[in-house]
Amino acid sequence: MSTEDRYQRRWCWDRVTWGTHCVNCLATCPYRVFTLGDTVAFEEQGGTIEAVAEGVPDLNPLGCQKGSAWSVQLTSEDRVLHPLRRVGERGGGQWEQITWEEALTEVADAMLDTIDEDGVESIVFEESVEGGLLSQAPFLRLAGLLGAITLDANGLVNDLPTGHHITFGKFSCASTVDDTFRSELLLQWHSNPAYTSIPYHHFISEARYRGATVVAIAPDYNASAVSSDMFVPVRPGTDAALALSMCEVVLSEGLADLEFASTQTDLPLLVRTDTGRFLRERDIRSGGAEDHFFLWDEGNGIHDAPRATLRLEGLKPALRGRWPVQLADGSTVEVTTVLSLLEERLADYVPERAEELCGVAASTIRTLARMVAGHRCKILEGFNTPKYYHGDLMERSMCLLLGLTGNWGRPGTGIQGLALAGLDGYFLFPMKTKKGVEETARLLEGIEQAVETMRERDPEATDEMLGNQLLALSASSGTSAPPVFFNYHHAGYRETWNRAEWSDPTMKRTFDAYLSDAVRRGWWGGVARPGAATEPRVLFSVGTNPLRRARGGRAKLLSNLWPKLDKVVVVDFRMSTTALHADLILPSAMQYERVNVQYPITHTLRLSFSDAATPPRGESRTEWQIFSALAKRLSERAVERDLLEYVDGRRQTRHLDRLGDDFVVGGDFASEEVVLDEWVRDSADAGTLPVGSSVETLRRDGSIRFTGLGIFAPGLSVAADVSPTDVMTAFGWHVDKGLPFPTLTRRAQFYIDHPWFVEADEHLPRHKEPPRMGGDWPLLMTSGHSRWTVHSISMGNRPLLGTHRGRPLVVMSEQDAVECAVREGDQVRVVNDHGAFEAMARVTPRVRPGQLIVYNGFEPHMFPRWEGTNEVEPGMVKWLHLVGKYGHLRYLPFGWQPVPADRAVFVRLERVEAV
Amino acid sequence: MFTYSLTGLEIKSAADGPEEVEENETTARSAVYQVLGAFFSAPDRDHFDRAGQGLWTKELTEAASLLPFPLEVGELTLASDVDPESYSAEYARLFGAGCSEALQIGAEDRDDVEAKLRREYEYFGLAVSTDRRAADDLCTECDFMQYLAFREAATGSDRLRASYRKAQRDFLERHLLSWVPDMVAAATALGPNAVYSWGLDRLDTFLRSDLDYVTAQLDG
Ligand code: SF4
Repeated sequence: MSTEDRYQRRWCWDRVTWGTHCVNCLATCPYRVFTLGDTVAFEEQGGTIEAVAEGVPDLNPLGCQKGSAWSVQLTSEDRVLHPLRRVGERGGGQWEQITWEEALTEVADAMLDTIDEDGVESIVFEESVEGGLLSQAPFLRLAGLLGAITLDANGLVNDLPTGHHITFGKFSCASTVDDTFRSELLLQWHSNPAYTSIPYHHFISEARYRGATVVAIAPDYNASAVSSDMFVPVRPGTDAALALSMCEVVLSEGLADLEFASTQTDLPLLVRTDTGRFLRERDIRSGGAEDHFFLWDEGNGIHDAPRATLRLEGLKPALRGRWPVQLADGSTVEVTTVLSLLEERLADYVPERAEELCGVAASTIRTLARMVAGHRCKILEGFNTPKYYHGDLMERSMCLLLGLTGNWGRPGTGIQGLALAGLDGYFLFPMKTKKGVEETARLLEGIEQAVETMRERDPEATDEMLGNQLLALSASSGTSAPPVFFNYHHAGYRETWNRAEWSDPTMKRTFDAYLSDAVRRGWWGGVARPGAATEPRVLFSVGTNPLRRARGGRAKLLSNLWPKLDKVVVVDFRMSTTALHADLILPSAMQYERVNVQYPITHTLRLSFSDAATPPRGESRTEWQIFSALAKRLSERAVERDLLEYVDGRRQTRHLDRLGDDFVVGGDFASEEVVLDEWVRDSADAGTLPVGSSVETLRRDGSIRFTGLGIFAPGLSVAADVSPTDVMTAFGWHVDKGLPFPTLTRRAQFYIDHPWFVEADEHLPRHKEPPRMGGDWPLLMTSGHSRWTVHSISMGNRPLLGTHRGRPLVVMSEQDAVECAVREGDQVRVVNDHGAFEAMARVTPRVRPGQLIVYNGFEPHMFPRWEGTNEVEPGMVKWLHLVGKYGHLRYLPFGWQPVPADRAVFVRLERVEAV
Repeated sequence: MFTYSLTGLEIKSAADGPEEVEENETTARSAVYQVLGAFFSAPDRDHFDRAGQGLWTKELTEAASLLPFPLEVGELTLASDVDPESYSAEYARLFGAGCSEALQIGAEDRDDVEAKLRREYEYFGLAVSTDRRAADDLCTECDFMQYLAFREAATGSDRLRASYRKAQRDFLERHLLSWVPDMVAAATALGPNAVYSWGLDRLDTFLRSDLDYVTAQLDG
């Protein structure tokens, strides 16, 4: 064959399908997948998405280098193609190939032993968004049918903007990404979109072409700073000081949009100066409500703050002042406004003082503040902030800046995190007892009825609030559990979290004391599972990779959790670090080998489809096949062992003999394609997707735009109209329609009068230095996504590895390199009181002195001794996030809960070996 | 009282609600689909006799009496020289192997078209009849519309009523009206006899009017 023929053959195909990558980036870019015979030849960006609004660039082409090289991984060396059983020690690397029959029987028996001896709550599944909805739904279904535990994905990965939740009572303020184009000022803050938002980055350039100013606020001169108009180098972990200082400038220079702040935020609400608590109705009226607040109407005095609307309806709330108020018992107290208290606090952040804290020149702070106040400003955030111990304070401060300058709910504004688009059919699916529209209507009507019943109790509640209530109710009876309790009792974190020297110094008690207090008060009622007495015995990791991911490190899990486990079952398509330490590996089919969709997000507001371009390689199977077969095997073995029923942790009787049938609803849902078809049809029926949508329309078009936000809380939280001909700006309902926020005060809430917050002096946003996590060492280690991987999923991809050094790097400043006698390319050891790892030094002037950057995504087995970066991350959680039963501060799946921090870990560095 | 009568489809999963309802505008639409579906099935002796006895026009007139939009039923006269054989032959001449969506749109893979339709039917609790009438047969597709309209009339749930309406509009747009007008045009070009000329004209007119009506209901 000639060279030319060989080259041409590389680009031959006989079939084209749609594909996407159901990985953590969640972008779900539609690709065309070109297949020759049973082999994917290559893929190309789809580029077929229609423009939405006149004059606004379309989403095309969507994609990145990882997606464009995805097909290489189908045949990569780290694929697992057969069920494997460990031979010898865990992690010893010895495996034997077994049949599916053997594998499923072994897993089923381990599960039945556990149910019989310790109870079903000793069977634990890790949730994730990895692998897409059709990877997750099958095991969630099995766990639901069994009453097992599923560890909340966000409590594990910490993509949880706690500061957004504290402020807005919701996950995020995520508009469609084309809204970026309508901004006048873009703050890339705690984000590096040139690395992490590759498919959407063009909107930043396009906004700039039409005159927007782009600012990068980051400790390092990152790839996004290169193409910005202004670079604001902030000392790591001090962003709250910077944001609060900008707030101070906005207020002191009279630049604030106080009308916006008065309607949207709690700044006009009254606070008692004696207790520091909001003035509540029960304070001044006997039998009054606990969640009913007041403002001071200029001219008329004290007035109920409207609960059903944000509109002031003729009221003129005073924003500053102190007034006497008579309480129900006849005594008098002084009240003031949140804004008055805030201004007192902001006196600590005048630019000259803030400059000392955050390292940004006072003049730059003033310039930036004036820019924000005068423009439609959007903060492009991402999920870096929440990974700081005090990330919530940073986010609350950033939100405050936007709240003072009228910068949400209007075109080109807001703080762009990420929000799930509500695929109603997916949420309905676990409740379906049969297929079809009749069942869908029955369920939707039941939900509507439940919502109406709740509305009778609270007629002023919005659909979003009631949706949250419903979600909280279902959480207390579901499988999902915030991992903080599991990690505390069973995974060895208790001792770590109690190390005062690694925690915030304002903590008045031990972590133990706070946790037991929170549990005793019932703040986590129903979800603080499994308890201390319920030791885990079977752990399922389906596409997750805890030994790479877990803050606290592989060593902590291997020494604390692993010994308790009879069976570690990994379902994955590749030999991840966790797979290497498993007892059984069940090979799953990859994207392009199976039908799938990923969690859709509001960035694109689209559901994209990944088709089966080829059959699964080897003996790999889809998760639906694996878990439906496991359910069937469990039934069969249960009958053989005469273990037909048991009572689960919630005292519900479960029937094992019916499990196999129940899983597939008597055969109604025999394959993932049928399941997906049902989700899509149900979503169309509920109004979230276009009428007539089905797997077939997805298969034809590759991607469908949502027509609505759905009826469930995650979708509704975006609070915006979905129009087929317009960009979606999050929070439009709050600003245009005056719909209240789902917070305790029903306003964007900057004042949290919970006693724990008051005790910590965090009732208002403030700056706190990152605690000395890892010890009192001179260097501060941060992280972030690299360009080449979404976590470790693309780490076995040879073309991608070839585009960089293909190994973990410690990126450091020239000054630190000199001080540590390290040269570019040296192998260095990063050490602290928690652990150590080694990697190659990358010395660059773009990193500030005192900071080390170690991008995540590398597998521990890519490091010497398999010690990855998480060995130096203690995985501290902030005690205040244990607060519950305070209005919106209560557990919601994927939402409010304690999450581990991994940014700003203190380390030292030494050279191991010269180049 | 009115109930549906399916020939191409059968109930797989029984719906809630009565199996008979008072006749009204919606059952009239269902009834017209019932008549048209039967008319376009491959003719047998009974079909021929009904044409001779004027029963097709009578049934369509009765079915359409409560329709919410006008439908001109007109006259159907079977020529005296038509015998059962030539009657059947005319059907074969006009429609070849039958009135089928896949054949009409020239689908490469008829199984594929049928599989998609079967999924559509299943979502509404129906399966293709065991007599193996094709899923994409005009009679089967009319059966489906007949059933959806009936369920729309029978359900007490506003939500479900809207679901059935949306499904009808979608099915008309994506299926029946995507191929039947072409089939009608092609058959008309062949100069059909008076019976089929009548049927084709009624079918075409009714489908278009029905889509307008359902759309107006939904938009209204
Ligand atoms: S990996 Fe993610 S961002 Fe890249 S092309 Fe695939 S879906 Fe898009």
